[in-house]
Amino acid sequence: MPRRISIGFATIFVVCIIWFLLTTGLGIIPSGRFPSPAETWSALIHVSGRGYGGGDLAMHVYNSLRLVVMGFLFAIATGVPLGLLMGWSRRAEAVINPIFLIIRPIPPLAWIPLAILWLGLGDAAKIMVIWFSAFVPSVINTYAGVRNIDRPVLEAAYMLGMPKFRFVSEVLVPGASPMIFTGLRLSLQASWTTLVAAELVGAFYGLGRVLNVAQQDLYPGMILVGMIAVAILGWGTTRLLGVAEAWALRWNTAALAAKG
Amino acid sequence: MGVIQFSKVDKVFGPRATGFRALEDINLEIRDKEFMAIVGPSGCGKTTCLRMVAGFEAATDGVVSVDGTPIKRPGPDRAVVFQQFALFPWKSVYDNIDLGLRNQNVGRADREARISAILNLMNLTQYAKHFPHQLSGGMQQRVAIARAYVLDPDVLLMDEPFGALDAQTRVVMQEELVRLARKNPRTVLFITHAVEEAVYLADRVAIMTRAPGRIKEVLDVASIRNAENWDSYEKIEDVMDLESFVHLRTHIWRSLREEKAAQHV
Repeated sequence: MPRRISIGFATIFVVCIIWFLLTTGLGIIPSGRFPSPAETWSALIHVSGRGYGGGDLAMHVYNSLRLVVMGFLFAIATGVPLGLLMGWSRRAEAVINPIFLIIRPIPPLAWIPLAILWLGLGDAAKIMVIWFSAFVPSVINTYAGVRNIDRPVLEAAYMLGMPKFRFVSEVLVPGASPMIFTGLRLSLQASWTTLVAAELVGAFYGLGRVLNVAQQDLYPGMILVGMIAVAILGWGTTRLLGVAEAWALRWNTAALAAKG
Repeated sequence: MGVIQFSKVDKVFGPRATGFRALEDINLEIRDKEFMAIVGPSGCGKTTCLRMVAGFEAATDGVVSVDGTPIKRPGPDRAVVFQQFALFPWKSVYDNIDLGLRNQNVGRADREARISAILNLMNLTQYAKHFPHQLSGGMQQRVAIARAYVLDPDVLLMDEPFGALDAQTRVVMQEELVRLARKNPRTVLFITHAVEEAVYLADRVAIMTRAPGRIKEVLDVASIRNAENWDSYEKIEDVMDLESFVHLRTHIWRSLREEKAAQHV
């Protein structure tokens, strides 16, 4: 096992020991404020088995994950092309930028009440809010990525007489791709943040729903289970994106290595 | 065919009346299959001349044409080799060279044959699958030259192509370019500020004044090269020692020095 990974496991192990000592072992933190490892474990068993907050853990995870993936995919399917367009065409940028300047300062979470008013407590409202929040970083980073492509590289493409579609797919997109992936990572984070917030406000299932019900029930163990579940899912999806990035940017790792 | 013609070309960057006057009354004809080098003090607009032929810049006044047709936009009939190589870093060496041929809808078998021929000619065969950043600067510029040559262009535009290379690599590349240009002659417009390079490579050398750039004089190198049989020498340093070479080089040096001196007055 590589050294870094073993150190990482050791750190987590030590944190768990301290957690145990502070709660169960020495009793410094009362269990009403923060759950002990045992309470957290029993909450996990509770939600996985009998279920909690309207469903069992698998169902909550499935619902949250599904909404994040859908919202995220909608956001990048619209945001990346728009960013390409704005980066490429000064005219498109001139038209779209003012709208952005107005919408951008609005925190994505501020759209939640409106979304619920329009679409109710179901999936549609959440997908819409995730879309709003994940859309902006996709657009802005894609736009910056296009603007960052070396001018001689673009001129080389003009010189070679590229058909339009091939110019977009083989020059603009790969040229902007390092920044596009930065945007996707930010979009993914925004998706999780927004999802949990949206589910906290109102939902029938999902990890945010678990957190919300557990808070009302004064059930710290269950709150922690919800938080840990969100953390693991967020980490896992980011990791998947990282794998896709490493594959798509193989040429760039060579480039970065060459620069030293 | 590939005759490049500048007639009464002015170039002003910014507003016509108040902008920066880069070029003034450029008149120059580059004959078919001729290797023309333009030298001049930095900032004299020599690269702008090339960019106008490439179609990246438009003349403010006058006409730049190839075979009598005024240039409107960039195109594969005028292949460019850039100082900074400008390869597509996300494409392999092979795919970089292939792209221009695909754009011309050349059939697969034909493309493969042409690419493997040019890879072979440029000693790149074993690097076909490498990404540009895995190669040295000299290798990258070989790829860029291959990418231009494979298109079989009428006109080859080279903008200080060896300016970013170290001295040893540069010499090797110059020798290879001579070999390539003699074997497979094209109309070449070659921009440089290295006087030896211009004299060694070109059939004619145009000397430009400082900005606003004008053509100060055009020297015929080819007749001297042929008379003195430069091409019988394999190494660049042997040619550079010849009296005829030194004479031409010194002449150009003096001419450029005058421009430099005038700049400081």
